[in-house]
Order: sequence, then structure tokens, then C-alpha cells
Amino acid sequence: MRLSRRGLLRAGLGGTAATALGGLATGCAVPTGSTGRNMVLWYWSGGLSDTVVKNARARYGSSVSLDAIQIGGQYRSKLITTITGRAHIPDIAGLKGEDMAAYLPNADQFIDLRTLGAEKYKSQYLSWKWDQGIADDGTMVGFPIDCGPVGHFYQYEIFRKAGLPYEPDDVSKELNTWQNYFAAGEQLKKRIPGTMLLTDVNSVFENVVQQGSKRYVDKDRHFIGDQEHVRDAWALAVEAKRRGIVSDLVSGTPDQLSAKQDGKLPSELGASWAAFDIKNGVPKAKGRYRVAQMPVRPANNGGSFLSITKACREPERAFQIITWILDASNQAQGYVDAGLFPSTPASYGLKQMREPDPYFGGQVTTDIFGPAAQQIVVAYNSPFDVALGQPIKDEIKNVGVLGKDPKKAWSDAMSKCRRIAKHLGVSY
Amino acid sequence: MAVLEQTPPAVAQPSPTRPKKGLRKYWHLYAAISPFYLLFLGFGLFPVGFSLYLSFHRWDGLGSMEWAGLSQYQYLLSDGDFWNSIGNTLIIWVLATFPMIFLAMVTAVMLNSAVRFKGLYRVAYFLPNVTSVVAIAIVFGSIFSTNSGVVNAVLHSVGIDQVAWLNTPWGIKVTIAALMTWQWTGYNAIIFLAGLQTVPGELYEAARMDGAGPIQTFFRITLPLLRPTLLFVLVVSTVTGLQSFSEPQVLLQTSSNDSTFAGGPGHSGQTMVLYFFQQTFDNNDFGYGAAVAWGIFLVVVLFSIINWRLVQRRGD
Repeated sequence: MRLSRRGLLRAGLGGTAATALGGLATGCAVPTGSTGRNMVLWYWSGGLSDTVVKNARARYGSSVSLDAIQIGGQYRSKLITTITGRAHIPDIAGLKGEDMAAYLPNADQFIDLRTLGAEKYKSQYLSWKWDQGIADDGTMVGFPIDCGPVGHFYQYEIFRKAGLPYEPDDVSKELNTWQNYFAAGEQLKKRIPGTMLLTDVNSVFENVVQQGSKRYVDKDRHFIGDQEHVRDAWALAVEAKRRGIVSDLVSGTPDQLSAKQDGKLPSELGASWAAFDIKNGVPKAKGRYRVAQMPVRPANNGGSFLSITKACREPERAFQIITWILDASNQAQGYVDAGLFPSTPASYGLKQMREPDPYFGGQVTTDIFGPAAQQIVVAYNSPFDVALGQPIKDEIKNVGVLGKDPKKAWSDAMSKCRRIAKHLGVSY
Repeated sequence: MAVLEQTPPAVAQPSPTRPKKGLRKYWHLYAAISPFYLLFLGFGLFPVGFSLYLSFHRWDGLGSMEWAGLSQYQYLLSDGDFWNSIGNTLIIWVLATFPMIFLAMVTAVMLNSAVRFKGLYRVAYFLPNVTSVVAIAIVFGSIFSTNSGVVNAVLHSVGIDQVAWLNTPWGIKVTIAALMTWQWTGYNAIIFLAGLQTVPGELYEAARMDGAGPIQTFFRITLPLLRPTLLFVLVVSTVTGLQSFSEPQVLLQTSSNDSTFAGGPGHSGQTMVLYFFQQTFDNNDFGYGAAVAWGIFLVVVLFSIINWRLVQRRGD
């Protein structure tokens, strides 16, 4: 071949095309993790305290360059895609609590933290939270970040005007059963017309389920959403509707926020992090809110973990960083920065967590959430819980919002669950 | 480029070499257009093929894939929620598309005859289309609020009871359709306007000479000549309308623990793509999600063909 300028150009073009094709056809199949000094940490906005991450980078900077990346959008999808693609996998990955059921069956993608000496930290963390990071075969996948103890947020003045208990201690003590709570709702409505206790029936149903130690599918891949614990939650939600203490509003809408601001929705059951939603949603209600214990017993809603992926080349170093980021004093900082309620009981006594909160009329909210966090029981979290819980949540919503007959709704939910269980290979 | 060697086929050459010769001769041209095709191969065709492969498996996105044969498709056919989502999508599509086409046509005819500020109007009508759907949905969510929404305030002022737009099956559908209509009317009006401007002026003059009124002119001249444009608008609206996702997703998400892809009470606003998302990303059921995606594909193809037929049938 005689080389002319044109020929060279052609060769260049062909080469470019070939490179492009080659690049597409041969996906890199080498697991890439940290190389020497570089260590990548994935988390999401608000998933860790930025201050603590910055301090960790400085603290370990001499031996490792910690590259902490906030991943936006659908975090779990991106992490799963990266792990499946076997390239650019982070060394340390945050795992959201609601996604744990999806990760734990694939524990082999992560390093078993027991092999790195996790056991000796166990006593410093809430035991139920610690257990949530462990897969069925005992592999410890996730190291506890935060938790979400649920409390009862209410408006002090409105409760007082309705002749209800209004000091946090009294509310915790007297509204300690669902029946008392519902009765308070009736009294509220009678004394201040147009005021509703609950936004929707789902808040009752889901909180009752979350208080229990069982959900929709058990360890043996058997459907248990037709059993008493779910029936009871269902019955309570239906009862709330029947007693006329449920609003017709949708949570998170402008309507609901204005109702809260006008004191028409003076009570809600929410996790510790909901305090930030309330503050952002109804800033004008500053000083009017207090928080008490929820009826019956505390539940948990949310909370995350840190994990070390199989791609990590220096697990010991990564583990050292994790345990430092998540120690008691740094978790207290996480609470200050991002509202992450610590999973380390030692944090609850620290100064940062004992600040009186002016939004809550100077109340120290840790006095409520701290004890609550230590009394939580959690249920087995099956990978099929989401799919098999949805039909029941859908139908209770139909009862609450569309006025569907509860009996018909329950039998519809059950027949749909049977169909889905069969499809997913869950015994019924 | 100069092509120097043109060998006249004095002897009849075996034909198989001919295409090869073309390839050999013009390979650099093929190379020049190859980037698009390579990218499409890697990021378009391969994922499509893979999703088909995936739909015959069970996969949670991380573990190993299990062969499932046709069971995902069997389940799809018996899945009431999927059929419900098709029904929702079609109802919303009808509620959105026909008012939209009517309004776009009226707008285009008015723009066509408008004299001043034509450019300004065009920009103004096009704006909704370039606004982020999420932003629009948030605003519509406030407009259609039960207690504090503008729509109910207007209804109330003329003595009609307030409607729980975002909490009733029909209210949800109407709200989503209104949003889509608002978003696409301007865009399609511009397309119609382009079509209108290709109609030769002589035809209108001739019609006027023959004593045709404006209505007759519109139905006898404008509309028939706009048929190709109408066909384009219909097909594009079908494809976009049947794939609506962001509108219901943002309008109907609540701050509770509920799935963001459930589509409101009774799944009333759950479109096909929303259902696909729920199955894939809420339940981690990637195999079934892929089967749902192919189901959606078939529905969209079917309706595009029906549309095509309806518009093509007359006249040609």
C-alpha cells in the first residue's frame, strides 16, 4: 500500500472506528477497586455528615486518598449496575436501609465484616440495628450508620385547647394505646371542628406493621401477610376510618402542609428524620410542635449502612475508616449536619444531641428518640416484602380514600398476593 | 473524491463481487458514518436485545440469572395490574390527545392569519414544551389541589362542589391529561403551522372565486392538504402519550412510605411505563420488568399502526 496523505487519513478514520468498536465490544471484565493509595466511597446527599467525611479524608490522607462521591438519582440502581458491570466499583458503598433486602441475598458481592473484626464493635451499637446488616448465612454486609425511631409529633396548643394531654411526658403516658390515641382523635374533632388526627389510614397500617416483629414474608420464603399481625394492623386502620378521624388529604401535598400550618392536622407519627420535613414544610409553625412517644411501642423507619465491596483491595484500611466515620462522636455530628439519628447509644448523652430545639419549643428531642431507639424490635426483611406488601397497602388505601368495602378490599388484596406469591416462588 | 479506475464491464463479471467492490471502494465513506452506527449498536441495539434475553429469565439485578422460559410472559398476560395500566394509559392518551390536536389546529390557523408578533406567539406557544415536566407537574399539583387549588376555587365560585382531583380515579386521569395537553399543544401548533404554510395560496384564491366560505375552505382544502402533518402529529403523540411516565410519577408521589410508582389510589394513574418501573425497581424483578417493557412495545406498535391506517385510509 502506497502511503499518501489521503491514505493516511483513511487509515486514521478506520482506526478510530475500530477503536470505538473494540471499546464497545470488549467491556472491561477486570474487577477494579482501589489501586494503592486510592479509595472510593459512594454515598448519597445527606447519607453521611459532610464534616465527618472531610475529617476522614484529612485524618487518613497520609496513607490513603479517600475519594468520597455523592451519587445522585436512583442510588441502588447505579450501585447494582456498577457491581454487575464489574468495573469502577467503589471500595466502600453506602447501602440504604430500604434496599437491604435486595443486597443481603447477594452477600457474596461484599466483604464479610466479621472477618475484619467487626465483632469487637458490636456492643457500641444498637443490637437490632446491628442484626439488620447481617445476611441469612451470617455474613455481615452492612455496618450501622443511622436509624429512624418513630415518634409522635403533635401541636402543643391545639392539644391543650382540645382538653387533651399536652406535655410530652403526659402525651407519651396517656396516648399509649391505639384505642386511647383514636379516642383523643374523636375528642379533638368534637372540641375543634374540622380538625383531624390522621392524614390517612396508611399511616396507621404501616406503623402498626412496623412495630411488630413480622412482616409479609418469613425466612422460609413463606407468605405471612394473611396472618394475625397484618390483620390487626388492617383492623386498626379500618377502625380509624370508621371513627371519622382520618382526613381526605394526601401526605406531602400543599393541602396537607396548609392543614398542618392551620392546626387542622395537629398530630403525625413520623421517624426522627421527619422533624426536618416538618421544619421545611411548615416553617411558620416554629415553637408550636412537640414530640412524644408513639402509641404502644416504638417502631423504626429508615436508616442506612456502610459496606465494603468485594472489589476493595485494602479491606482492613477501609474497615478502619468506616469504624472511625461511624463512631459515637462522629454519629452525633451526623445528627447535627444531616439529621441522621445515631445507632450508637453513647451519642445520645453528647452535648450536640442535647441542644434544646427552638422549633419544638426548646424540647430536647433526643429525650424521646434516644429511649425509643433502644426499645425497637425489627422484623425479618425479605427480598419479597415489597412486592407482597404492596397489594395490601394499595387496598387499605382504597378503603381509606375511595371508601371501598373493607371485607372486599381484604379479599382482593389476598387474592392478588396469592397470584404474586406464585409468580415469585413464595409459598402461600 | 476523484475516482480514477472505472473498468468498463467488457466481460460479464460474476455478480457476487459487485457489492464487495462497492464496499472496498467506498470503505472510507462507511468509516466516516460508522461512529453513529457503532454507538447505536452499543447503546441502542445491544440493550434492546439484552432486554429481550432478560425477559426469559428471573434476575434480581445482582445475583445469577435463572432461566424462566415463557413464564414471565404468561404471568404478564394474566396480570390484572398490567391490563389496568394499559387501560389507564389509553384513557389518559385519549383525554389528552384529541383536545390537544383540536386546540393545536385552532391555534395554528389563528397564528397563520395573525399579522403582528408572529414570532413572539410562536415562542410563547413553544415554551411549555421546553419546560421541565417535573416543574410543570409540581405546579399542576398545586393548581389541582383539593382545598387550595385554583381549579376548585373557580368551580366553587360558580357554585360547583370541589373535586378531589388527585384522589379520585377520574380526577387523576383528567389532571394528567390536562398536563399533557398543556405541554404539547404549542409544539404541535407549530408543526401544524409549518404544514399550513405549504398550502399554495392559489388554491385559496380559486376557492374564494368559486364562492366557498371559510368553513368550507378549511374542510375541503386545508384539512386534506394537512393530512401528512396530521399523521405525523398523531403518530408522535401516540408514541409519547403511551410512554407517559414523569407526569403521573411526580403528580402522584406522596411523602409517605408509599411506592413512588403506584399511581395514586386504586392505581388510577398508573401508566404502563410507571408499572414497568414499579415491577423493575421497587420489586427488583428485572426479568419481569423486561417482559413488561416488551408488552409496552407491542401496545405502542399496535396503536401506531391503527393510527396510521385511520389517517391513511381516506384519500389514498
